[in-house]
Amino acid sequence: MKAGILGYGLYVPFHRISGDQYKKAWGNFSAPGIKEKTVIGYDEDIITIGLESAQEAIEISGIDINDIQALYLATTSAPYIEKSASSMLAVALKGGEDIRTADFTASPRACSSALLAALDMSVAQKDSCSIMVASDAPLAAPDSNLDHSNGAAAASLIIGTRDPIAVLEGSYSVAKETLGERFRRSGDRYTSDLELRISFVKEGIQDSVKGLLSKLNKKPDEFHKVAYYQPDGRSVSRALAGLGFKKEQLAMGEIASVLGNVGAASAILSLTKVLGQAKPGERILLASYGFGGDAISLVVQDGIKSYQQKARSFDKALEDKKYIDYIDYLKMRRFLSSITD
Amino acid sequence: MSAYISLPLYMLTVPARYGLVAKQCKECGLINFPPRPVCLSCGGGGFDNKKLSGKGKVYTFSILAKGGGPAEFDDQQNMTGAYAVAIVEFEEGPRVIGQLTDIDPLPENIQIGMEVKTTLRRSYDQEGVIRYSFKFKPVK
Repeated sequence: MKAGILGYGLYVPFHRISGDQYKKAWGNFSAPGIKEKTVIGYDEDIITIGLESAQEAIEISGIDINDIQALYLATTSAPYIEKSASSMLAVALKGGEDIRTADFTASPRACSSALLAALDMSVAQKDSCSIMVASDAPLAAPDSNLDHSNGAAAASLIIGTRDPIAVLEGSYSVAKETLGERFRRSGDRYTSDLELRISFVKEGIQDSVKGLLSKLNKKPDEFHKVAYYQPDGRSVSRALAGLGFKKEQLAMGEIASVLGNVGAASAILSLTKVLGQAKPGERILLASYGFGGDAISLVVQDGIKSYQQKARSFDKALEDKKYIDYIDYLKMRRFLSSITD
Repeated sequence: MSAYISLPLYMLTVPARYGLVAKQCKECGLINFPPRPVCLSCGGGGFDNKKLSGKGKVYTFSILAKGGGPAEFDDQQNMTGAYAVAIVEFEEGPRVIGQLTDIDPLPENIQIGMEVKTTLRRSYDQEGVIRYSFKFKPVK
């Protein structure tokens, strides 16, 4: 019995802002490779959008909600620092309280930490089933470059051993002490970045992926598709290209151009897009970054075909949208509100 | 001063607000939502929990122009302007009032009989605590 992904669901907020709006307001749009980005609604947060993606995953996979024994939430932008977002999400999702929950946070890599915890649980507890929810809406000061790329989205994966659509082949993790890149002190509202010209992303991605390749004795061309964290449209794909991954392997997982940087949801959103088009037998690399990196190899199973027929595609999830201008963006994200997040 | 629902009272409504848990009367079968201590139809006091699907139709609606909403929605109206409120009839029968979201609040965008579904949203902040409740969005 191999542990793997039994199903997935995703959620993309309704509102969008284009890079042109930033150019009008600021004279530039400092988000390489991003054309437009998603904007979380005034009445949404990472719990509500995470719930939408979890409900879709449960509905499409046909899993009995009572069979879900654990919920792992990954985010960097929970509404409370202390008060569990995963517990609220679980109560709302399950309508009951018999469930284990955990909150993974502090890095965009929280999503792969949550995924690995869920996969480990499936191995340790026979026939167990869990759900991991990656949901994020990172917030930076409106006069910082970070804000230009910050978007919002959520994706959920159901993890277990019964008829997976993709199974875990192996993983490799590295932890790194990186200073000055994407941090938020306790009590701060906004994420900061000192914009040091040091390629932390390149190191974290490359060292974890190299570790995985060597552990599994694989070469880059043995992976058909790559799902990866995307703080922008460039840095991680460049790091992967530096290891020998080709454009066509990276193209299908590309999400930043239309979502922006969705933080701890990014790599999982990319994975759901890849799974939506994957074929049985294909090997997928999941490259997650944040103060190190997690590289995970998944092998697609026959069940993917029937799942794809039921699932909503990434493109379909993006169809329903409304473009807003920069002033409405500032208001929707409560930058102009005296009541803060 | 905005309408005040104390946190202990609000917490009693959490299963209904987050999970659409209704109360079905053991005597006459009527689904009561939001839950109430006695059945709306027969006055019975025994209930079974019944989770609603979240699907329904707009029974009627109104649009609240900026400044027209209750005070707890002042910040929402300051940041996003007018919003629509509808009475929605769930497919299981109960009719409830709620905001419409992810829709431009213009009369031409909303029709009586329009299919909607629930979505959990932030409602407002009070005493530093975020209150959540379901709203309705169009079925696409």
